Amino acid sequence: MLIETLIVDLSHDPFNAELNFYVAQEYKRLNQTASAVSFYLRTAEYGKDTHPSLVYASLLKLAECFEHQHDRLHTVSNALLQAIAYLPYRPEGYFLMARYHERQQNWQECYTWAEMGLHQQTPPLPVDVGYTDYALAFEKAVAGWWVGRKDESILLFKQLLKKDLTPEYRQAVENNLARII
Amino acid sequence: MNLVQKAVAQGGKLAPIVIQDAIGGMNPSIFIDKDGDILVNVRVVNYTLYHSENQQQFPSRWGPLSYLHPEKDQRLVTENYLCRLNGDLELTDYCKVEMLNLHQPIWEFVGLEDARVVYWDDTYYLIGVRRDTTTNGVGRMEMTAIDLDKSNWTATETGRVRLEVSGNSYCEKNYAPILDKPYHFVKWHNPVEIVKAEGNQAVKVSLKQGITPAKDQRGSSQLVRWGNCYISVTHEVDLFKNYLNQKDGIYRHRLCVWDDDVNLVGISPEPFSFLDGRIEFCVGASVLDGDLLLSFGMQDNAAFVLRTPGALVEDMIAEALSAN
Repeated sequence: MLIETLIVDLSHDPFNAELNFYVAQEYKRLNQTASAVSFYLRTAEYGKDTHPSLVYASLLKLAECFEHQHDRLHTVSNALLQAIAYLPYRPEGYFLMARYHERQQNWQECYTWAEMGLHQQTPPLPVDVGYTDYALAFEKAVAGWWVGRKDESILLFKQLLKKDLTPEYRQAVENNLARII
Repeated sequence: MNLVQKAVAQGGKLAPIVIQDAIGGMNPSIFIDKDGDILVNVRVVNYTLYHSENQQQFPSRWGPLSYLHPEKDQRLVTENYLCRLNGDLELTDYCKVEMLNLHQPIWEFVGLEDARVVYWDDTYYLIGVRRDTTTNGVGRMEMTAIDLDKSNWTATETGRVRLEVSGNSYCEKNYAPILDKPYHFVKWHNPVEIVKAEGNQAVKVSLKQGITPAKDQRGSSQLVRWGNCYISVTHEVDLFKNYLNQKDGIYRHRLCVWDDDVNLVGISPEPFSFLDGRIEFCVGASVLDGDLLLSFGMQDNAAFVLRTPGALVEDMIAEALSAN
């Protein structure tokens, strides 16, 4: 739906969490990440007691928007921490936090967040936040090698190869194995 | 009820302005020129405003209201994009305004902020506040003359006047240009102070007590001619701090009605919002075929133009006049 239509709908019910989320999603699709931030945050603030999945997804999307804007690392991690504190039993936030630390080469942090996330089991989030059910194992495998757990890392990568991976993940797993075996 | 809801319900239209080169836009200023072109200057910044509303359960690390600039760059940098809309308020052209390189910015707020578009004596101007010429952020209104090439859609600054004032003043901003009185501005609303740009000075022309607003009003849109009066939109601010001493604020707007001599004769009895955001800012107004176009920003992150039906504007004017 056009952003104009979505905003007009929102004007009739400005504190509706779902409508704010739709507006945010459309702005993000248009690469207007600053605009999207405003409406993801409104989704979170006005939906906190009624729309837990959307609020959680919005906080994760906030982190993604700030990541795209570059050089906002504290804000990225803050949004992820808020999501994890809000729904600590969901795995997606742990994955994104593990990946965040992987990208900073904070290997022990990456390993720890991945390990914590692997203990969370929930139905899929109704919003794509870049999470797959093997993403945490991948992060743990990568970080494991760097924190001295070579055998565990190899085992995890080999187990991952047996899964139905996306081409990108499969390539990454194969590349990692080729380097460390 | 917010103004967008009212306007659209009565046949108006809301048009988001999306500039592909940017991650958002803010505080747009609209103006219709002699060719009938609908021009909008959009402020594009290097920060994202983070503002928690409602119960503020998800503030930033720095509080519910934060300017999230790059962490290795403390500056809040403004660039201006000049846009052209068609009659359906769709964006057809845009370009970054190429500014003259007259000095090295020496304060954190960089660039011409919240510029209003006017056309006086065959020259387009962007008129806003600049705070980057001193080490402590002294703000002065600046008039930036623009060469607008409509064929190639480029906009280039050709000259700049920084308006000094008599006496000590830290920050001068939000002068409201009177569109059909070249170089004249409403500087204050209670009492009403009109100033005129003469050379590099903002000279007081008059100081008159009009009606007394319920709250201090500050300039937002230009003053535009509407029938036998002028109208403008002003803003008011509640600035406060939470228990952690972190800043917060709420912005609201009112419609002002002025007579031919720019006496303030009416003002909305109640403030209004555009989209029920706590931080919104209107910087422009223009009349199109009997309707009022208002341009506003939402939380410094999104820019819109609202076509407000003439009948609704008349109702707002009547309400403003009857309340006083």
